[in-house]
Amino acid sequence: MDSDQKIEKIIGEIDGQGPSPEADGLDSRWKELEAIARMMREEPAPEPPGSLGERVMEHIRACRPSIWKVVGEVLLRPRTASVDPLRALRSPVSGQECSFYFIMVGVFYAILGVVLMIGLNRLGSALAPADWVRWQPLIALVTATCMVAIGLHVLKDGKPALRIARIGAFVYLGFALLNGIAVPLERDLPVSAALSLLSTLIGVPTGLFLIRTIQNCGKRYAQT
Amino acid sequence: MKQIDEREIIDRVLGGDREAFAVLVDTYKRPVFGLAFRMTGSAQDADDLTQESFLRAFQSLGRFRAGERFFPWLYTVSLNVIRNHLGKVKALPEEAVGKGMPEATDPSDGPADETAARERRRRLRRYLLRLPLPVREAVVLRFYEGLSFEEVAAVTGDTISCAKMKVYRGLEKIRAMMEADGFVDDEARR
Repeated sequence: MDSDQKIEKIIGEIDGQGPSPEADGLDSRWKELEAIARMMREEPAPEPPGSLGERVMEHIRACRPSIWKVVGEVLLRPRTASVDPLRALRSPVSGQECSFYFIMVGVFYAILGVVLMIGLNRLGSALAPADWVRWQPLIALVTATCMVAIGLHVLKDGKPALRIARIGAFVYLGFALLNGIAVPLERDLPVSAALSLLSTLIGVPTGLFLIRTIQNCGKRYAQT
Repeated sequence: MKQIDEREIIDRVLGGDREAFAVLVDTYKRPVFGLAFRMTGSAQDADDLTQESFLRAFQSLGRFRAGERFFPWLYTVSLNVIRNHLGKVKALPEEAVGKGMPEATDPSDGPADETAARERRRRLRRYLLRLPLPVREAVVLRFYEGLSFEEVAAVTGDTISCAKMKVYRGLEKIRAMMEADGFVDDEARR
């Protein structure tokens, strides 16, 4: 019998199964360990002071969590989120799912903003400061912030936040189209054409997808 | 308490009804206090730690998962509070172990039996407090709190076999300490 099996056997015996017939040499040790376990089991539970419950509740009533704690709780709260965009286009989706897509679009634009910032920085003096192209990284970062903010708003408030989300999605769609036109008009550079294409190719389908998702989210709330 | 009731209470608390938390406090203050007392050996510390545990549980209630049982979750929160506390404070002097705790007595015991029983309990508490913290947790949860090995493992974050190993080691260590003090034979004969 290896040591793990011995332990299993002794623990089983202490747990009330009694010593097994083949427990060679374990009998006296089992009795001692069993006696210790019995003493612990038989010891009466300590009584808490009578006022303990009331004192706990006083702390609970006085508890004012910090804003960081509240934000952390909202973000860390367990929730289920689907990642099935095709289904989101066809059938009703939850507020959490809708919020998830907004936040994901925000994350995408945050990354795009950083990439553009680094990329345009390398172009250096080829672009004048006032150029529309120059503003692209900032536009991407502002879009990211707005999308994440809308996503969190939908996550927190649900149905009442859908109106803001719808306005945000339409503004985003319009701006994506405007940006697609404004960039190539501004300066005839290969980079501006690429940015225009990027803005339109990403912005228009994403905007339409978000609008459709909000519609489907509204249907879900109407059902419940 | 049924799980469905707990979920309902938790939802009410999360919805802003703080007073609903009093039901959970009343239901679980005794085991949480018991756990803290066994782990620290001090009634005063147990009192403070019970308050801290419930406050921490209240603040973390948003992370409590649907379908999870509240009691093991609360035990895990309490155990973390107790671990933090024990990590900061020095060990309790032996003479202070169990101080401030009213002793429970068995009415069928005579005065001599009662004194002997009290002495046994005091001695056992002393041995318990000499155990390494992870071992003490497992022993307390299993024998004093009456949790199954599955529950002990869930609360401490161990595997079931690891929980069993800790309990076994704890008992063996206590036995060795009793033996060194010349008490083991008395207890085994009882």
